Amino acid sequence: MRLLRYFLFRVLQMFPIALFIVVINFALIHMAPGDVSILLAGEGADPDYMASVRESYGLDKPLIQQLGAYIGQLLQGDLGLSFRTREPVIDIIAERVPATLLLAGTALVLASVLGVLVGTVMARRPGSALDAAVTTISISLFSIPVFWLGLMLILLFAVTLRWLPSSGMMSVAGPREGLAYGLDVARHMILPVLSLTAVWLGQYVRLSRSSVSETLAEPYVTTARAIGFSERRVMTGFALRNALLPIVTVLGLELGLLLSGAVLTETVFSWPGLGRLIYEAILSRDTPVIMGAFLIMSFTVMLAALLTDLLYATLDPRVRL
Amino acid sequence: MRLRTSTILAAAIALPSAALAETELVMPQQDEPRTLSPAPSSDTGGHGPTSNVYSHLVVMDWGIVDGVAAYGDLADSWEVSEDATTYTFNLNTDAKWHDGEDVTSEDVKFTYERIMEKGYTFSSFLRDVKSIETPDDDTVVITLDKPNMAFLPMMAQGAQWTGKIYPEHLWADQEGFDTGPYVNEPVGSGPFKFVRWDRGSAVVLEANEEYFRGAPNVDKLIFRTIPDANVARAEFEAGQFPYLPFNYAPPLAEAPIFEADPNINVVYTPSHFSRDLQLNLNHEALGNPKVREAIAYAMDREQMNKLAFNNSWTPGYYAGVSSLQKWVNEDARFPGHDAEKAEALLDEAGFPRGDDGWRFSVKVTGPNISDCSAITEILVRQLREVGIEAELDRFDQSTWFSRIQDKQFDISCYFGRYGPDPDAYREHFSTDGARNFMSYSDAELDQLAAEANTVSDEATRKEMYDRIQEIVVRDMPYINVFEEQKTSLVRPGWSGFAVMPDGFNKSISWFGVYGVTGPDDAG
Repeated sequence: MRLLRYFLFRVLQMFPIALFIVVINFALIHMAPGDVSILLAGEGADPDYMASVRESYGLDKPLIQQLGAYIGQLLQGDLGLSFRTREPVIDIIAERVPATLLLAGTALVLASVLGVLVGTVMARRPGSALDAAVTTISISLFSIPVFWLGLMLILLFAVTLRWLPSSGMMSVAGPREGLAYGLDVARHMILPVLSLTAVWLGQYVRLSRSSVSETLAEPYVTTARAIGFSERRVMTGFALRNALLPIVTVLGLELGLLLSGAVLTETVFSWPGLGRLIYEAILSRDTPVIMGAFLIMSFTVMLAALLTDLLYATLDPRVRL
Repeated sequence: MRLRTSTILAAAIALPSAALAETELVMPQQDEPRTLSPAPSSDTGGHGPTSNVYSHLVVMDWGIVDGVAAYGDLADSWEVSEDATTYTFNLNTDAKWHDGEDVTSEDVKFTYERIMEKGYTFSSFLRDVKSIETPDDDTVVITLDKPNMAFLPMMAQGAQWTGKIYPEHLWADQEGFDTGPYVNEPVGSGPFKFVRWDRGSAVVLEANEEYFRGAPNVDKLIFRTIPDANVARAEFEAGQFPYLPFNYAPPLAEAPIFEADPNINVVYTPSHFSRDLQLNLNHEALGNPKVREAIAYAMDREQMNKLAFNNSWTPGYYAGVSSLQKWVNEDARFPGHDAEKAEALLDEAGFPRGDDGWRFSVKVTGPNISDCSAITEILVRQLREVGIEAELDRFDQSTWFSRIQDKQFDISCYFGRYGPDPDAYREHFSTDGARNFMSYSDAELDQLAAEANTVSDEATRKEMYDRIQEIVVRDMPYINVFEEQKTSLVRPGWSGFAVMPDGFNKSISWFGVYGVTGPDDAG
């Protein structure tokens, strides 16, 4: 009951925060020079046409009025129409979200699970040659720019060996349903997921290694060992549970950024995801799409923060919500 | 054992898609289309697909560099009245929409009138149109208010971006060309039919067997969005597609490597654009003609060519480009490199070197295209050598464009246009020209440019444009630097791409692939 009340309170809290975010975003976007009329008018750039575009998109009105109209629209659950395509923003975003979730979600699960496993194993053999090797590798992975790694993977597996497709999410002329479609997408996923996982993996390895080894040095672990609990019981029952707290924090932060965190990977692999959509929208000053995407992203961040707090309470009984 | 499993796995993953007997052409492009309706806005991602689905009244392509400024697409032929105000177009009688209906003169009238009514981009090419009449199904008569020698060439050039002909029977009940079911499922009359658009990935088209000029050689045409130039280049090398368009082109310094590769043909295509510098005459120093002349002397095109373009570009010393042939006045020439002369002129102009060695400071900017970036980087160094404290100022495309329109720049790299008709000078240099960002104004030039556009006698016109070039070189509101050149890569066996001479005048627009033949096509 108390948990439910807390949950509801936190969800309600999101709306004033979202409003604040909308206002800030709106101000930031309008501080940037240039607007959509220039890009729509293009090569000819006829001033009359640009003026008529501004008028038809309501860009000729005072800013405060534009903001008011936008918020009014939001309150009715309407994210508006894209300047570029004249399609509902919500549809445009919804179309891109699954691709991003598939790519970034898979990579995040792989990176965190693998990272925690490897980090935990290393924490138990601190100073060993293997530990040194893993530490070096994870620092390197962590510092490699993802677009470079992606490009190298493409060169190796798609260009030289020709084992895997180089980019895109599916074969252009390939199947669109059933198992064959699933396999086709899976083949296209391998390289982008691999590069994203590699980059994220490093930090999970390092984080869980240091967190677990710190916990193992705690007096209660020594006590548990002295009592005679099996090493496995000590690890899973006492050490790991406490060591997970900082990892959950980082995971929560990344979960919130899941939707936008893969812009570079999506660009390199021509992945039709949300990150690329936002990037394109920013370059063409497609304000409704930018605003809509930012709004949805801020809700994901807030939801992830809430989830993290709830998870904290489960892991650590001292935390009371 | 483990090795064997992984080998089998790899083999399974690498299973090639079933061999197809038909010719499939994948065209990479950097931008995703915004929509597949060409009229409402200029759309770099949409031009490829829409130019192959829709037809035009008249159009042009890279044949312009051979002197063909316009050729018929839906129009088989046309006559121009004596006073150059009435254009009678005879349409091809076999042209059909992809849904089977006949293309008629009413479709042309409907499209152009709606473009003018809505004020879409293409309406600027139709601004002198008084009336459009359709005496019968296959004849369109366009009457102009006053003679305009640039009308046909400009209409042909603009058509490839935003001037395509729409089917009236499908669009008549729509509010504009940006609403309704056919915006993203286009029905045209061009060589390819729309099949599917996978958002974020590709637009798929198939050959129109009923096309009025005969079915294209390519059976399946796919425009794939690949935003990253390095990836596109890697995929080209991996044989994923036979043609790498010039906007993905590798740095020209790498050209010798590609030229040495027997599996790649490097195609250089001239254009009717230049790379030049626009100087903002409102700037304290740049307002002084001596300073502008000094900048022309300070600039070393040969060094730029060597460092940036592997010596493969043509330096631009005239107020024109050689593809415009007869229209270039070779007596009006910008000065060549002479740093000492530049310094002397700057001293004379009242900008001696200060105690810190600098005379004055300027910011150098340009559009976000690789050749302009290279030119401006080297230019900054060359200006600093003569004591001008130059600095680079870079922006994304939209910001740069709005800044030069607001005249918030000192020196900017620019893509000057000289064709398809020399009327382009008016757009660049007349006081109210749409591309005159320099605040340049000269009464004689204004008058000449306005008049030259109405004169049908070519020799007289030539004299007038020669004089305009003299004035521009005298005043130097801009300085030509290079003639633009496009570099594309093509796989052997493929030919007829728009940038190749065997694609000239039959590609149906700069973006058209109607002329393309693959290695498996007989003939």
